[in-house]
Amino acid sequence: MEPDAQLVQLCLRGDGPAWEELVRRHARRVYGLCYRFTGNRASAEDLSQEVFLRVYRTLASYQSGQGAFSTWLTSVSRNLLIDHYRRMRRDRLTDSIEDAMPHLEAKHSPGRTPESLAQASELSAQLQQGLARLSPELREAVILRDLQGLEYNEIQVVLQVPEGTVKSRINRGRIELARILDQMGMRPA
Amino acid sequence: MDWNCAFTEERLSDFLDGALAPAERAALSAHAAQCEGCGQTVARVGAMVRGLRELAPVEEPPYLVAKILRGTLGARASERTWERWLGWLLEIGQPRFAMGVATVAVCLAIVLHVAAPRMKNVKAADLHPVNVLRATNRQAHLTYARGVKFVNDLRVVYEIQSRFASQPEPAASPAPGPESNPTTVEPRDRSQSRPRPGNRDSRFGDLVVTTSHSERMSNTWTRSLS
Ligand SMILES: [Zn+2]
Repeated sequence: MEPDAQLVQLCLRGDGPAWEELVRRHARRVYGLCYRFTGNRASAEDLSQEVFLRVYRTLASYQSGQGAFSTWLTSVSRNLLIDHYRRMRRDRLTDSIEDAMPHLEAKHSPGRTPESLAQASELSAQLQQGLARLSPELREAVILRDLQGLEYNEIQVVLQVPEGTVKSRINRGRIELARILDQMGMRPA
Repeated sequence: MDWNCAFTEERLSDFLDGALAPAERAALSAHAAQCEGCGQTVARVGAMVRGLRELAPVEEPPYLVAKILRGTLGARASERTWERWLGWLLEIGQPRFAMGVATVAVCLAIVLHVAAPRMKNVKAADLHPVNVLRATNRQAHLTYARGVKFVNDLRVVYEIQSRFASQPEPAASPAPGPESNPTTVEPRDRSQSRPRPGNRDSRFGDLVVTTSHSERMSNTWTRSLS
């Protein structure tokens, strides 16, 4: 049995340290996914907590035979991210600023965060701006593939769409993101 | 092979992921070498994908894990942490070291307890210097006695444990019974009442259970005193 699945078994028997270990192993990954998708640290923090709370409550429904724990965790995260996105969009629509999303998110990203000290972090912040301008469908596909390093079949499980759709979203997402970054004057070395 | 610019975009990810058949791969490369637009696209997207892969993961805030644990395990988390601390002490220092720490903690508790005046139900008469002195004196004795009892209980536990630990081969000791080995049998019996995580050292469970028992004893004892 893979180590994560063993930890899950221990958690289900009420083992607190096993749960702590599971959280420590995956917190960065979940937070990274949430941050890359929302472009906002506070939202990413809230969403990460929400993700682990849901995982904690529904841990019994995870079947190790159906795939890696990390894939299941990513599915839970992704579902909450989509819920969050819909909620945000609905709020914005009722405020009748339908096209505000890129501007709003762009305001959050660079400059303000202490991380923009280093050059690499600036790159990361610019990327964040670029990602915010990508449609959520393409954005999540690129994040899962190129930032989280998931395989195509894993992404298929997470997104619940056929393999062909996964492939075409990743492909379109990459081309689109490269074009956006190019327009922003960001050229990879 | 006929190749056009639409093909390049369509197959770009397969090309970059190395999932293209050799013939198609060669055709795309040949086209991109001649077509300026496709050459740029391949270079740009390829460099971006490499850049994304090399990007260090975003770091979570340092308190996030603690927040998550509080949100899920709640108060249990801190109990576990405390338990693990004690377990760690027992692991590195054996009972002797743990007892030293416990003694220091008890002494500290006595000092603090006496130093801080009891603010509950303060009456005017209580503030009179004589009464304050008398109350402090009484409290000091009480707390000291309680502490001594606690340390003694701990010492008994420690002595019993070291006796078990130093028990040599069955032949050397006048064994109480052929099969009775209290160090292995007893703790397991006791710990059945409380589920315990993983493969924790059984000494740990033993001491915790006994200590809380002696605490209970000293509580009844002090109640009869006061
Ligand atoms: Zn071309």
